[in-house]
Amino acid sequence: MSVKSATMLKTTYREAVREAIRDAMRRDDRVFLMGEDVGKYGGCYAVSLGLLEEFGPERIRDTPLSEAAFVGAGIGAALGGMRPIVEVMTVNFSLLALDQIVNTAATILHMSGGQFNVPLVIRMATGAGRQLAAQHSHSLEGWYAHIPGIKVLAPATLEDARGMLWAAIEDPDPVLIFEHAMLYGQEGELAEDVAAVDIDKAVIRRAGSDVSLITYGGTFYKTMQAAAELAKDGIEAEVIDLRSLRPLDNGTILDSVRRTHRAVIIDEGWRSGSLAAEVSARITEGAFYELDAPVARVCSAEVPMPYAKHLEEAAIPQLPGIVAAAREVLGTHV
Amino acid sequence: MIKDSPRFEPFSQKPISLLSESGEWIAPFDLDLDEAALKGFYRDLLAARLLDERFIKLQRMGKISFVAPTAGHEAAHVGIAHAVKRGHDWLFPYYRDAGMLLAFGVPATEMMAQMMATKADSHKGRQMPSHPGSQALNVFTVASPIASHIPPAVGTAISMKIRNTGQVVVTSFGDGATSEGDFHAGINFAGAQGAPIVFVCENNRYAISVDYHKQTAAENIAAKASAYGMPGYLVDGMDVLACYYVMQEAVERTRKGLGPVLVETQVYRFGPHSSADDDSRYRPTEEVKAWKQRDPLMRMQRFLEKRGLWTKAWGDSLRNEINEAFSVAIKEAEAAGAIPAEWMFEDVFKDMPRHLKQQLERWRSELSG
Repeated sequence: MSVKSATMLKTTYREAVREAIRDAMRRDDRVFLMGEDVGKYGGCYAVSLGLLEEFGPERIRDTPLSEAAFVGAGIGAALGGMRPIVEVMTVNFSLLALDQIVNTAATILHMSGGQFNVPLVIRMATGAGRQLAAQHSHSLEGWYAHIPGIKVLAPATLEDARGMLWAAIEDPDPVLIFEHAMLYGQEGELAEDVAAVDIDKAVIRRAGSDVSLITYGGTFYKTMQAAAELAKDGIEAEVIDLRSLRPLDNGTILDSVRRTHRAVIIDEGWRSGSLAAEVSARITEGAFYELDAPVARVCSAEVPMPYAKHLEEAAIPQLPGIVAAAREVLGTHV
Repeated sequence: MIKDSPRFEPFSQKPISLLSESGEWIAPFDLDLDEAALKGFYRDLLAARLLDERFIKLQRMGKISFVAPTAGHEAAHVGIAHAVKRGHDWLFPYYRDAGMLLAFGVPATEMMAQMMATKADSHKGRQMPSHPGSQALNVFTVASPIASHIPPAVGTAISMKIRNTGQVVVTSFGDGATSEGDFHAGINFAGAQGAPIVFVCENNRYAISVDYHKQTAAENIAAKASAYGMPGYLVDGMDVLACYYVMQEAVERTRKGLGPVLVETQVYRFGPHSSADDDSRYRPTEEVKAWKQRDPLMRMQRFLEKRGLWTKAWGDSLRNEINEAFSVAIKEAEAAGAIPAEWMFEDVFKDMPRHLKQQLERWRSELSG
């Protein structure tokens, strides 16, 4: 899929998600999109622009403004045989539907003894960078990854933005897809005949032998830039894109660390009790004797996300911090 | 069949009653149920009452950790169950609906096994007692967070509308649930989207200890329907035929695509909130006594007796028959045996993921080592 061919098309992350929705709706008439402003307005991040005209208001449903209602209704529609895609504006607002996600979607298959499964996909934006302050800009996907019974995806690349949705819709369990708000405008090329991708494996996006940089979602491109920066000094960093936050792909993480003997985790979530903490614990459990240096983490400052641009930039992981952390575990910090 | 002109007026000041306290048919229309059907209503009322008594006994014997008593709610339970198409429509009940599920056809053995968590429990010992459900009968498993089942119920109704299946959803809840955000969010959503769903409030006037007037300043729950753009019916919840006929009209109305309906059945909880509750701390005994005088089972009995359809001998034999069936059900449920602990690793996801397989293996080796 990453091999360039004559059929490569220029596109954006936003268009890739839209194309994934369009493709799913064409393939399966049980699929419909629901959420606030997904219809006439085209979605708060313009993802569903044009879909109302193509599929009509029954399948591109504008709903009353209630996260609890449209997420809960998504659960019910899935129980009723549909394959709903529910769009929530941001992860912060998904907290208004937290009970539906954690107490119902995640538990019902188990609590009902396997009687009721919930094939529901919930998409939402996550992360900082658009100067929308604390109640729009947090990264709570690691929090959701704590919950058994749901699958948590974080597509960082155009391929994953395009390919993960169909796999998520085919999955019999509830799947949460986190789209980092700063990725929507990401440009690139995609094959015209792009296919669905797996949703349970991490991927090594850049091979290297000196240090493993483990990341996902919004910090992925920054980490790739950091790897390029380090390469100027002859340091070959391996970059792992986790892609799936639950389940976590232990194998890819540990194999990499066993080769490089050093690990830095880059995660826009807060440090304490974070997904980065979980990855670090797994490395300690599974590859402690292979490590040449303590595991390092680059996370967001543990403050509510501020509005002012320079404060927001200071609060989240940035290129210099990632490079510095890598140099530190390599003992080349100056 | 639904008539062109509906039988009932929404937003009445007084609850709709079709049977007087003494058991007279006082409806403005002719009774169109045959003897077998009327006796069936009585049978289901009695079975619901006896099931409640049996659950309480099992709890006192230490075989169940918790029970939510249902006595006093039977007319609503049986009226709802008879108005809905079994195996076609969906129910999203709440935790005080055991009688409804029994009348809807959930086997007694399954009900007992759910309470006692044996291998015969379709929920595999994972749901708390008084929280049954049945995929086979389209009965969603009961949710503990109050009113949280209402938005999913609306979603299932919307799926029926999108697919044009002719099915409807009935969801029930107590008076306390109407204060929850999920009630408002769900019923508003259903109104705006024209979902084929009937909301039924079993208003027993107490949310554990908090009485109706502390719950809402609204005169009744049915009145709230007006703000959501749907009819609201106030029904005498101790009158099984009133519950049935109003529910039937509500169900057929929504099935015809005329949008959702809210029904309030005014019932009373004869027992405590749960086996962990002492209701004498917050309810005057005179009030409980007065409501027990209005027992839905006795009212239906008087109605049948007046028509020569009930004799003491028939009533006694029915009681024995049901009790015997419950004893057999308990035996069957217990004979199924205990649920193996390792079953708990299943059904977290449809396919067991790697990490759970590892946790299962670790659990097994700890047990054997």
